[in-house]
Amino acid sequence: MDFLNILARLADLSADTEAGAAPRRTALARLGQAGATLLPAAVAVLPRPAAAGVQDNSTVLDVLRLALTLEYLESEFYAQALALPNAAAFFGSAANRNAIQTIAVHESQHVALLQRLLTEAGATVPSKPSFDFTGSKNGTQTALFPDIFTNFDTFLKVAQLLEDVGIRAYKGQVEFLQLDSLLLGTLLRLHSTEGRHAAHIRTMRRQRGAAVKSWVNPTDAAITTTGSVPGQAYAGESNTAQYTPAPRLIPFDTTLPINVGTPALSKEALLAKVAEAFDEPINAATATELAQLFIY
Amino acid sequence: MSDSASSFPGRPLRRRSFLRVAGATVASSALLLAGCNDDDDVTPVTTSNTLVLTANTVGLLNYLYLLEQLQAAFFQKVVDAFPDDFTADDRAAFTDLRDHEVIHRETLKYTLDTNAYDVNLGTNALAFKFDSFNLSSRSGAYAAARTLKDLSVAAYNGISRMLLTDAAERVTFQAHLKLLVKMASVESRHAAFVREQLQSNSFAAPDVVDTNGLDGAKTPAEVAPLIAAYLPITLNVAALPFI
Repeated sequence: MDFLNILARLADLSADTEAGAAPRRTALARLGQAGATLLPAAVAVLPRPAAAGVQDNSTVLDVLRLALTLEYLESEFYAQALALPNAAAFFGSAANRNAIQTIAVHESQHVALLQRLLTEAGATVPSKPSFDFTGSKNGTQTALFPDIFTNFDTFLKVAQLLEDVGIRAYKGQVEFLQLDSLLLGTLLRLHSTEGRHAAHIRTMRRQRGAAVKSWVNPTDAAITTTGSVPGQAYAGESNTAQYTPAPRLIPFDTTLPINVGTPALSKEALLAKVAEAFDEPINAATATELAQLFIY
Repeated sequence: MSDSASSFPGRPLRRRSFLRVAGATVASSALLLAGCNDDDDVTPVTTSNTLVLTANTVGLLNYLYLLEQLQAAFFQKVVDAFPDDFTADDRAAFTDLRDHEVIHRETLKYTLDTNAYDVNLGTNALAFKFDSFNLSSRSGAYAAARTLKDLSVAAYNGISRMLLTDAAERVTFQAHLKLLVKMASVESRHAAFVREQLQSNSFAAPDVVDTNGLDGAKTPAEVAPLIAAYLPITLNVAALPFI
C-alpha cells in the first residue's frame, strides 16, 4: 500500500536529521525480516543499456552491511596511520596530518551512523573485520602495498583507491534504497562526503607530483594494474556512454554542444572530460572483492 | 525589469498549466500537491519573468538543469576573463570545471528534451547575474565558486526528499536517479577542490559536513532563495513535492 506507506513516512519524518530517527526502526526491521527485495518490478523491467553486470537484489540490510564493511575499512585505515608511533615523520607536515585527521573523523562517524541504523532496525551489527592494509592477508601472501605505513605516497595511493571505491560502491547501491527517502538521502550524503575525501586525497597527491586530477580522468597515473583485482577499482570508470532512461544514448561525441572551449578539443580530449564529469557505480560483489583485499 | 515584458519572447504563456500549478500551490499539504500530479502536460510554465516548476520529475530535472546552467555560465564567465593572479593550474582547473558543467547542463537538457523549460527560447537563454561576486581576483573567483559548488552539492543530495505518490511518476524519478547520482559525486569533488584552494583543510569542513559525517542537503525551497540573486527571473519551486 504505497499511499499508506507515504502517510507513515510523513508521520515519521524528522526534518532536521536523516540519521538515527528512532521511528524508522519498525519499518526497517520489517524490511529486514522479510528479506524483501527493494527493486520494484517496474524498475526491474526497464531496459538496461549500459553494462548491467550481474543483477543483484540487495535488501536494505545488505546495503547497510556493505556500507559498514567499507566504512570499517576506511576508518581503520586512517586510524592506524594516525596511531603510528612516528606519525609526525610519516605525515611529513601538519597540513597532511590534519587532512587525514579530518577524513578519519568522518569515517568513524560513518561507522557509528551505520551501526546505529542497523541497531535501530533490530539487526545484528557485524563486528569489525581484521584488516591488513599491506594486502598480505596477515603475512600469508605477497604484500600488495608493503610500505603502506612507511611511505606516505603509498598510503595516499591506497587512500585514493579506497575513497574512489567508496564513491562507486555507494553509487551502486542507490537503486536498492529508492523506496526509502530517508535512507536514500543518508546514502547520498555519505557518498558525497566520500567524494570530497577522494578529491582532496587526489589534490594532495597532485601537489606531491603525481599526475592525477581531483576528478577521475582516464589519463590519471595508474595506481592499479588493469585486469587485477585492485584494477577493478577503476574498471569502467572511463565510460563515456551515458543513457537517458528512455533509453537514449547521450550523443557527447556527435551533436551535443559541449565542445565550447577555444581552441576546440580533440574528440579524445573531449571524451576524457565526459569521463571526468561522471563517476560510475560498481556492484556489491565488486565492492566486496575490493574490500577483501585488505581483510583476513 | 518590467513585469509586463516577458523575458521569454519565444515562449507562449501556457495558461491552462499555470492555473493548474497555481491552484495546487494554494493547497496546504505536500501530499495533496503530489497527489494532484497525474497529468502528462509536464512542461514547466514560464510567465513573464517567472519560472514555475511542475510537481513532478520534469520539474525536478528542470531545477537541476537551471542549476547546471547557472554553474556553466559562471565558470564560462571566469574562463572568458581569468583573474590576473590565476596560475596555470587555476586556469586548467576552471576550464575543467566549465567543461564538466557544460556536459552536465547538456546531459540534463538532452534528457529533458522537449520538456526543458527553455526549449522554445532559442538564443534567448537566461542571462545570469554574477555582479555580486568579485571575479577579478583569484580569491574572489574561488570564493564565488565555493558558494555555487556547495549549493550544487546540497541540491543534488536533497533530491531524495522528492515525494511522489503517483506510482508511474515515481518510476520516472527512480529511472533518472542513477544518472543524476553519477554527476552528484563529481559536484562534491569540485566543491572539495575549490574550498581547499581558499583555505587549507576546508575541503570537508564542519560548515558543510555534519557530525554524522553527512554532506549537506537542501530542498529546492531552500536552494531557491540562495540563487535568486543570480537569476534574471523569479524561480517558483513551490509545486515541487518535497518533504
